[in-house]
Amino acid sequence: MKILIADDSRVMRQIVIRTLRQAGFDGHEIVEAEDGADALAKVGSETPDLVLSDWNMPNMTGIECLQALRSSGSSVPFGFVTSEGSPEMREKAANAGALFLIAKPFNEDTFSEALSGVIA
Amino acid sequence: MTAMDTGERRRTGEARPLITELIDETTVESVAQEAWISLVGEEELLVPLPGEPVTDPVSSWVDVVGPWTGSVVLTTGRRTAEELTRALLREHSPEVLEDEDVADAFGEIANVVGGNVKAALPGSSGLSLPDVGEAPAVRNPEDVCRADLLWRGQPISISVQGALPPLPAH
Repeated sequence: MKILIADDSRVMRQIVIRTLRQAGFDGHEIVEAEDGADALAKVGSETPDLVLSDWNMPNMTGIECLQALRSSGSSVPFGFVTSEGSPEMREKAANAGALFLIAKPFNEDTFSEALSGVIA
Repeated sequence: MTAMDTGERRRTGEARPLITELIDETTVESVAQEAWISLVGEEELLVPLPGEPVTDPVSSWVDVVGPWTGSVVLTTGRRTAEELTRALLREHSPEVLEDEDVADAFGEIANVVGGNVKAALPGSSGLSLPDVGEAPAVRNPEDVCRADLLWRGQPISISVQGALPPLPAH
């Protein structure tokens, strides 16, 4: 499957890719986006099967990207990987249509738990 | 009956908490240790001991805006920031590190530590994107919670510091 990883930090995108692999989700095609606007465009051009997105990014935040996707009729599975995991943000994410929110710092167990029903 | 306005409510509304009333050094250390284990490596320990003064310091920070407003600032020596960057990038670490790589990695550590410090504060707050450079000045020495740590023997400080000067004394 094709997974789109959106984070303005290149280092964090590498860490997310590494953690996916450590959690046993390897062999998937990875596409990277450097902010929400780039992610929105790449959902259109790359048609990923899953989006893993940071929340706080320049140009367009992760939640704005998710809202734009849902408004345009896209139902691509979408989850957050973010340093802010408060109950308020989890609720906001769920209401916007996110499947899960993984709070940073995370490890492979956190990824396994959140993604086992999502990644084939 | 009309309530008498004693002015107390307004005075209470003016009061703003100091960070030392909201969070302690142990919480900051624990947040940092979790970030280190996740980002830097499982075996990477932070030791709560002050080190020698940092030469050639570099800082990364995020701003928190809410009931308490200030910054979460990490400061270490430039060489230690580079070593941290290599630890985060692991096999993707280039032979020659660009300033951009160090800003990205050290900024992301501030983002994760700052996000979790924010989560430990009461109420709803906003978090800025990370910045890297010369640390923001301490405006009110009483509104600071600081942890001095050692990583691989090198000093790293984490200062959770208010953005506002002290209120004038009544």
